[in-house]
Amino acid sequence: MAGIFVFSEDSALAGQLLTPALELKKSLSQPVIALTLSEADAQKLAQLGADKVVVLQSAGKWVEGFAEAIYAQVSIAGASVLLVGGTLRGKHVASYVAAKLNAGMTTDAKALRIEGGKLQTTRVLYAGLAVCEEEVALPAVATIRPRTFLPPATAATAGTIETAAAETDTRISVDEVVSTSAEGIDITAANKLVAVGRGFRKKEDLTIAEDLGAVLKAELACTRGVAEDDHWLPIERYIGISGQTVKPELYFAVGLSGQVQHMVGCRESKVIVAVNNDERSPIFEAADYGIVGDLYEVLPLLTAALGK
Amino acid sequence: MNFELTEEQQLIGQSARDFAKEYLEPIAVELDHSGTFPKAAVKALAKHDFLGLLLPSEVGGAEAGFVSYVEVIENLSRYSAAVASIVNNHTIAAYTIQNWGTAEQKKQYLPGMAKGEVLGGFAIYEHGPTPGVGPDALVAIKHDEGYVLNGKKAFVRNAGEAGVYVVFATTDPALGAKALTAFIVKADTIGIKIGEKLETMGLKGCPVADITFENVVLPETALLGAVNEGAAISAKALAVVSVAEAAQTVGIGQAAVEHAAAYAKQRVQFGKPVATLQAIQTLLAEVATDCHLARLGLQNAAALIEEGKPFEVEAAMVKSFLVRLGSKMLLDTCQVEGGFGYSEFMPLPRMFRDIAGTNLLDAPGDFPEKLIAASIA
Amino acid sequence: MPKCLVCYKWTLDEQDIKIKPEDLSLDSSRAKGKISDFDRNAIEEAALLVEKNGGAVDALSYGTPTVKQSLKDCLSRGPEKAYWIADASAESADANVTANVLAAAIRKLGQYDLVLFGEGSSDQFNQQTAARVAALLGLPCLSFVQKMSVEGDVVKATRKLEDCVENVTVKTPVVVSVLSEINKPRIPSLKQVLGAAKKPNEEVKIADLGLKPEDLQPKAVRKSVKGFVMQRKNIIYKETSAAENVAKLKSSLAAEGLC
Repeated sequence: MAGIFVFSEDSALAGQLLTPALELKKSLSQPVIALTLSEADAQKLAQLGADKVVVLQSAGKWVEGFAEAIYAQVSIAGASVLLVGGTLRGKHVASYVAAKLNAGMTTDAKALRIEGGKLQTTRVLYAGLAVCEEEVALPAVATIRPRTFLPPATAATAGTIETAAAETDTRISVDEVVSTSAEGIDITAANKLVAVGRGFRKKEDLTIAEDLGAVLKAELACTRGVAEDDHWLPIERYIGISGQTVKPELYFAVGLSGQVQHMVGCRESKVIVAVNNDERSPIFEAADYGIVGDLYEVLPLLTAALGK
Repeated sequence: MNFELTEEQQLIGQSARDFAKEYLEPIAVELDHSGTFPKAAVKALAKHDFLGLLLPSEVGGAEAGFVSYVEVIENLSRYSAAVASIVNNHTIAAYTIQNWGTAEQKKQYLPGMAKGEVLGGFAIYEHGPTPGVGPDALVAIKHDEGYVLNGKKAFVRNAGEAGVYVVFATTDPALGAKALTAFIVKADTIGIKIGEKLETMGLKGCPVADITFENVVLPETALLGAVNEGAAISAKALAVVSVAEAAQTVGIGQAAVEHAAAYAKQRVQFGKPVATLQAIQTLLAEVATDCHLARLGLQNAAALIEEGKPFEVEAAMVKSFLVRLGSKMLLDTCQVEGGFGYSEFMPLPRMFRDIAGTNLLDAPGDFPEKLIAASIA
Repeated sequence: MPKCLVCYKWTLDEQDIKIKPEDLSLDSSRAKGKISDFDRNAIEEAALLVEKNGGAVDALSYGTPTVKQSLKDCLSRGPEKAYWIADASAESADANVTANVLAAAIRKLGQYDLVLFGEGSSDQFNQQTAARVAALLGLPCLSFVQKMSVEGDVVKATRKLEDCVENVTVKTPVVVSVLSEINKPRIPSLKQVLGAAKKPNEEVKIADLGLKPEDLQPKAVRKSVKGFVMQRKNIIYKETSAAENVAKLKSSLAAEGLC
């Protein structure tokens, strides 16, 4: 078997996958091969340390339709590991390939290493309640969520680039794709976040949080209810089990209770601070620092103090 | 001896719990404040077949057993005992027609009641010393084509919302209760006046009012059961509904103790959650125990009802137990929550007021201990 | 008149699972069983499609012998018949084994126009099963479906992805996985609950599926499961004066280099 394959249709994520791939290379002594659908990405991936980059070309553009072609590449090479970017499209593709390989697959691995000739992975279970370690026989497949890893530094020597013709699945026809991302905000890239919950009584009151965010140089984020039920903030700012996962330096939680479905999206933040008027709130167990008090009183005072 | 509910009973109970969480939890507080009849919730109950639970499938009922029924009542009561009262009073009226009605009467009234299109009411109580006695007693005088009723019924639940009432009147004031006779009366019959809605301590949303009968003419076909059989019918029906009312008490008590326990785990005083303090543990333990034992007792009585076996003594025991300890459940859980137990933005004060309404005695002369003592002495 | 098959999983309710403080292991002794949340959406969607277009819904589940407890619940939600595979292998089955078993069972049960799954199970949330089964059966897969409709042998669906929605069309037979937002599962009425007892269920024996022993061996093996516990400083300021609390917090943030 030979080959640690990586694939993501997302450019940034594809680069990030090379970091764990290159780490696995140290144990397996096998080449890292990046599969991509984009010529532009190919250059970048070759420079970031992929030994070889294969650009899959086809008239069809539907990402999921490339699953069979990706399987072909992986199985012909006799790959030992396939890492796929954990977007929804990526999970679809990875699952397909895993089935064809009769292989085990870890979804959303947070850590990976080779031990005992197998891929050892760490992942989350029960909506964040538990952490699980799995051992996957080779060939193994794993998906990795965006920003789990940083991309590697530029490599000393760039890898080679090839193209390969691919046959895509044409049974499903894509009639229309409508973009839903608003304003291009990416809270996962923010270094500091102020997260708001239902402790705020009305949408206009969010300016109190925005003012704090301005002096902290933090972006605004929120719990599920604020985005999906109240529609006070767009869905991209929702942090939680089915929303975004973030790891900022500072996560400032205001007027939110800290339920596990929300905290699983931010619990790897470096420092968590909480302001809540209920001292029994679970958020205080999850916080490094906190103030028990009325956010309407505390936040303006804090904003003023930090602004000096 | 198997103490576990059957799979079917469990699924029905779970269904009622999910229903109550979805439809009753959001309206419970507002219902208690306004006391306005919850039309939407009752419609939803009908749609989920809860209003025809005991009735046979020929009339569109779910044909479930009485144990399933008390499971439903307990689960509804955890979220809104007022709505459970509406269901109970409707169901007991339907039950009475189902068990003593003629084939024609069952065909005429039960399909509508099973579908929840027609709500039922049960008019037994009067302001006098006992039904059938006193100046306001409801009297039914026989004449050629049927009966003429005059008098007043008191504390009729679902009054004003029901489409049909099971009414008890005496056919002979000299004999009083011994001549009590049951009738099925349509709400729109001429001469029926629903009195002013009573402001009750709790169970608000389940309307209660007096009903005055002024020369109400009923045909022969309105007679339910035999002439003078009314005392026996009402005694049996009230015994059956007392088991369901016990389920209300237990449902409220269970919800209260779970709320108080969750509160006690989080409330920190003297550096520890108050749930670790002996005084609190004692209060919670007593309430949890009383709920558990009462539940076992009422499930036993319900099973006897379902099997057609004698159940009146067991039902009286449950009633006696809860008359003594029902309200204590809320006294204790409010004590656990301290100031919060006394604050109207928390659920316990409403539950306190509700639970008292679920173990009222029917009549001082027929207290449950009398029946129990008679069975052993 | 689509003939639908819904695959569902009988899981433990994660709300009942507790973390033992001594060693962070999980205590699921009090956990009740439930049909996995997203699978309920799949069952509901199939029921709605059949209510609209005619046809029929069957259900299929692979689990340990406790899977039998799920049958009445499942049948009260719309399906006409439930197939079940109860086998000890389910205890340690990974997505590969699950897909092998389900695909073999589906081949045995016959032709379906639509095979529906939830997006993922509520316990493991692998999000793999639908695409795996589709791959094994050689069928197209519509994943992450937010909305769908069927007309004759044509399925139209809207898939919801992170940054876009995709409207797609495909001809049956097809495998579909649905998102939780596709519908709100019904609370079964009492008649539906009681009617479930009268509906048929049938055991499918794993030995009759023609699988090789290695198909039932998990490739991903769980080595340890530990409760996640936050280890944080928990320095909480609760003086009576908000200004005092703010001053203390500012010092702490400065010490952390955050302001």
